[in-house]
Amino acid sequence: MLDDLPEQFDLVVIGTGFTESCIAAAGSRIGKSVLHLDSNEYYGDVWSSFSMDALCARLDQEVEPHSALRNARYTWHSMEKESETDAQSWNRDSVLAKSRRFSLDLCPRILYAAGELVQLLIKSNICRYAEFRAVDHVCMRHNGEIVSVPCSRSDVFNTKTLTIVEKRLLMKFLTACNDYGEDKCNEDSLEFRGRTFLEYLQAQRVTEKISSCVMQAIAMCGPSTSFEEGMQRTQRFLGSLGRYGNTPFLFPMYGCGELPQCFCRLCAVYGGIYCLKRAVDDIALDSNSNEFLLSSAGKTLRAKNVVSAPGYTPVSKGIELKPHISRGLFISSSPLGNEELNKGGGGVNLLRLLDNEGGREAFLIQLSHYTGACPEGLYIFHLTTPALSEDPASDLAIFTSQLFDQSDAQIIFSSYFTIAAQSSKSPAAEHIYYTDPPTYELDYDAAIANARDIFGKMFPDADFLPRAPDPEEIVVDGEDPSALNEHTLPEDLRAQLHDMQQATQEMDIQE
Amino acid sequence: MEDYKFLFKIVLVGNAGVGKTCLVRRFTQGLFPPGQGATIGVDFMIKTVEVEGEKIKLQIWDTAGQERFRSITQSYYRSAHALILVYDISCQPTFDCLPDWLREIQEYANSKVLKILVGNKTDRDDREIPTQIGEEFAKQHDMYFLETSAKEAENVERLFYEIAAELIGQARSKDGSSSAAAAAAQRQSEGSSIGLGSFSAKAAQSNCCGGLASGGSNSSQGG
Repeated sequence: MLDDLPEQFDLVVIGTGFTESCIAAAGSRIGKSVLHLDSNEYYGDVWSSFSMDALCARLDQEVEPHSALRNARYTWHSMEKESETDAQSWNRDSVLAKSRRFSLDLCPRILYAAGELVQLLIKSNICRYAEFRAVDHVCMRHNGEIVSVPCSRSDVFNTKTLTIVEKRLLMKFLTACNDYGEDKCNEDSLEFRGRTFLEYLQAQRVTEKISSCVMQAIAMCGPSTSFEEGMQRTQRFLGSLGRYGNTPFLFPMYGCGELPQCFCRLCAVYGGIYCLKRAVDDIALDSNSNEFLLSSAGKTLRAKNVVSAPGYTPVSKGIELKPHISRGLFISSSPLGNEELNKGGGGVNLLRLLDNEGGREAFLIQLSHYTGACPEGLYIFHLTTPALSEDPASDLAIFTSQLFDQSDAQIIFSSYFTIAAQSSKSPAAEHIYYTDPPTYELDYDAAIANARDIFGKMFPDADFLPRAPDPEEIVVDGEDPSALNEHTLPEDLRAQLHDMQQATQEMDIQE
Repeated sequence: MEDYKFLFKIVLVGNAGVGKTCLVRRFTQGLFPPGQGATIGVDFMIKTVEVEGEKIKLQIWDTAGQERFRSITQSYYRSAHALILVYDISCQPTFDCLPDWLREIQEYANSKVLKILVGNKTDRDDREIPTQIGEEFAKQHDMYFLETSAKEAENVERLFYEIAAELIGQARSKDGSSSAAAAAAQRQSEGSSIGLGSFSAKAAQSNCCGGLASGGSNSSQGG
């Protein structure tokens, strides 16, 4: 079967992570011949989602010096005395029996409803391959409790966590943030340029509670975040409101591992060739033709450009890695927070955690069965923080204690691992474009910027993922109706042509 | 907006060259494409059919060639209501691969998806797999069975119309949760999952926070 593979490509992409998949799709979309390889038998590399069995197998996998996933360990917890009233008692066996129903992300993300990725998905029409779940609550910790942050105008008015005066203050503050940058920018805000966002917030004489709402959840700032940056982040939050659901955030159904696959599908639709379980054994640059020679499974392939995920190619084996993101992944039979936050059997909630000094932060994403990522009655807690050490559990300790010490969450499974990034570039890899490993961010902005940048270097004048037409608009090769005279067509084809033209017209009107 | 009562997603799988694309194009366009040209840019085809007086929109997805090296994305199987597994009756290896395909289907597709086994190319006179063998295999694995010829347009309409009829039956059945179709219909009506394509409509509808969000709207255009 492998012998069918063509030998010459415009672009060979190694690794099927998010960034690589973006680049592969963008290349294929503008007509480049693309070969996309992954030595794994699954899509997504460290951006993948796994079933329960597969996650354990992945965490057990032997770590090589260049592996991006390391320091992995997991534990099954036996539950304390079950209350017999529980319809289903969960334990290791009953969880593993439903292994297939899980989509456990190595790198979970939350999407801003008007963010870079959502815009890219809509613009390129890749959105048709994915479904999303609106995040139910954006939360914050207040006096040791997890409470919902009011997002929309109606939320602000309905919430019981704020007093009437606080509601007015919050609305006034958010409206001011929203207007900032437009002409009506008042002197008041000009004065804060070059100072911190926190100073500005304090000057608005908001209460401590509102200040926490804004700093923790809306602007997602720290004490040293600049005024401009804080304004920008607040606007980003506000700009994503009111699009889908009650919060400005979305989570992909069946986990974030679906997203790279959506890009891969587009790449394949435009002729890109896919080979999983296929490694590249050697890469050399042919100085005569300026092409890469890749040897893979005994075959030599020629490529004008090569893009690779870090740690995938033979030349990258000398690269040193350092810890980059520390992750905790927990499965529980009870959700975090009160009933209010978990209506209808469990919310999909986002909580940004801060340490006491406000210097370190972590994201908690709680997933319920509404995301298709776990069976009903179970909850996934994803914790992510920038790595400080080779010990993800100790990096996260302060946050896990905030979350679990005083809660009655019934943790069944806990795991920790590190996502590593290279600390140096290998000189041998000069002409190969290496994608960045996942960075610590909520959405995919940095990954998309990275993909755009690499794509732009390879194909300087080309459009990055222009809109792919809908199936209705496609004229299949060799059947271009405009090439034929309408009157020479048989009856049925003429009708078909007419329909097509009508469809095109309607489209124009819509646009 | 087109007027239809149900939208069903049907996906095709099976080895390369068994005629998946031909089946789809025969059904949706009434064409039999000569040769083996790859279908660049074609992702899924849509045809609206009328069954039992209801307008049904069928969205029929092809593999985009990812089956060539057994690298179909899992997301391809997601949210499919029906799955057509195709082999070539004149090519034994395509039949021998069926268990592999079933394993993949079991792994990634909804467990309640409607499954149909199709032996294609009945126009060929070098048949290698007798009808009975195919039938038995289908029976063993709880699948519907049909032999077709995309070239001669034999049984192609029937295949898709029967799928549509079956899916409607499932969607209407009171015991809704027992089928993928009903579950999906339910999910759509509950609005618990979102397709971004519906963006413009949704954004226009929601005015709960119009004042605040006005700064960020209209930055992108829905499909």
